[in-house]
Amino acid sequence: MTGMERVPMGPPWSVDLIADLHAGVLPPEVAAQLRPRVEADPDAREVLQALDATLVDLRSLPSVPMPDHVAARIDAALAAEARPGIAPVVSLNDARKRRNRRLGMGGAGVLVAAAAAFGIVLAVSPGAQQPPANEAAPAPTTSSTSANAAPPLALSEAELGSAVGEVLKAQNYGPLETPDRLSGCLKGGGITSSGNPLGISPINLDGKNAVMAILPAGLGQFRLVVLDPATCGPDKPEGVLADTTIKR
Amino acid sequence: MITLAKVRPVTAAASSDADLISAHAAGDPYAFSELVKRHRDRMWAVALRTLRDPEEAADALQEAFISAFRAASSFRAESQVTTWLHRIVVNACLDRMRRRQTRPTVPLPEAGPGEPVAPRDAMSDRETSLMVQQALMELPEEQRAPIVLVDVEGYSVAETAKLLGIAEGTVKSRCARGRAKLAKVLGHLRNRIADANVPADGVNVQEQRQWEGR
Repeated sequence: MTGMERVPMGPPWSVDLIADLHAGVLPPEVAAQLRPRVEADPDAREVLQALDATLVDLRSLPSVPMPDHVAARIDAALAAEARPGIAPVVSLNDARKRRNRRLGMGGAGVLVAAAAAFGIVLAVSPGAQQPPANEAAPAPTTSSTSANAAPPLALSEAELGSAVGEVLKAQNYGPLETPDRLSGCLKGGGITSSGNPLGISPINLDGKNAVMAILPAGLGQFRLVVLDPATCGPDKPEGVLADTTIKR
Repeated sequence: MITLAKVRPVTAAASSDADLISAHAAGDPYAFSELVKRHRDRMWAVALRTLRDPEEAADALQEAFISAFRAASSFRAESQVTTWLHRIVVNACLDRMRRRQTRPTVPLPEAGPGEPVAPRDAMSDRETSLMVQQALMELPEEQRAPIVLVDVEGYSVAETAKLLGIAEGTVKSRCARGRAKLAKVLGHLRNRIADANVPADGVNVQEQRQWEGR
């Protein structure tokens, strides 16, 4: 079966058959015989031209901008997807508090905080389908766990944004040492933040020791703050080196 | 104080879609939003033209983007990000189309063959676009999806076949059927030719079935 016997080699041809020829549907050997005959027939040639004109119409269709309300809805859905409180993970703050109570802060505190931070990573990472954090589970050995020992991220001002992903994985107060110190430094900069930082890590900003904290700032927003541990504190706004809200 | 302008562009300046996917997988909280921002109009056009209904298109896109958000860590660089996103969006649209299969397809308008809605040369570009858009919307879904991908979006037959999960021959034949109908509705076929040659749906079906799937 070649299909040849079903294809009339003389006019009139149906528009559908010509459309098949035009679209490359016909077997090559059939098309090779039919094409010159079709092109020699004025009526059939007009059909080919009509199909070409149709293609031009379709290819000329302008883009359709997504309406603002649809874009906003999708942005909100994606922001909700990334929010730790909404992702299918335990309440990390609660888990962290419980762990802190049980194990106490201090030497082990950083490790515990890092474990909690790992939970945050689960919540904000794509594909966050992991099971809820289990309090009985051992602290995972992530890079953030050893963040204390590792040298701080060396960044320039222009690179600050690129460190967000790494800092979100960490819960290392570095030279600020405690959440209370962090709170004091934030207060000095007039920054109010409810809850613990989503991520915090010492960094080296243009050769100078600093601490980057990423704070929750409402639906789909993060607040990136860089502090100078040597100068920041309550009533010392100069210790805030960077403060910006990042919208998703 | 370092301003937003110094922080934000790190993501925005990422040189490629693949960079954004990598950044997202690494935890960058706004890389995926940037990716969506880049492609949302094109994806919207695909969803709207495939599904016709804006609400359904919005629902499908939301599902698709959330799905992509979750699956981004498994993205493999051998496929283009746009193709990968398209596949997810098209699949979300196809799912919705399958779910509503019981709904009747809107028939083509009963204008005579070769009788356009208005004389073509009297139309502005915008009117022409609206007419083409309307005609496209009135195609059966099985023809509209491949025409949107091949003729509007510029995908190859092979790519479209993969996206839609059908044989390349089927893509070609559905495009052929749809283009013939559009040529008639858009007034590119003269009355005499259309009257003489445009068969009712179903003619050539036997012939067609033999070629589909090649």
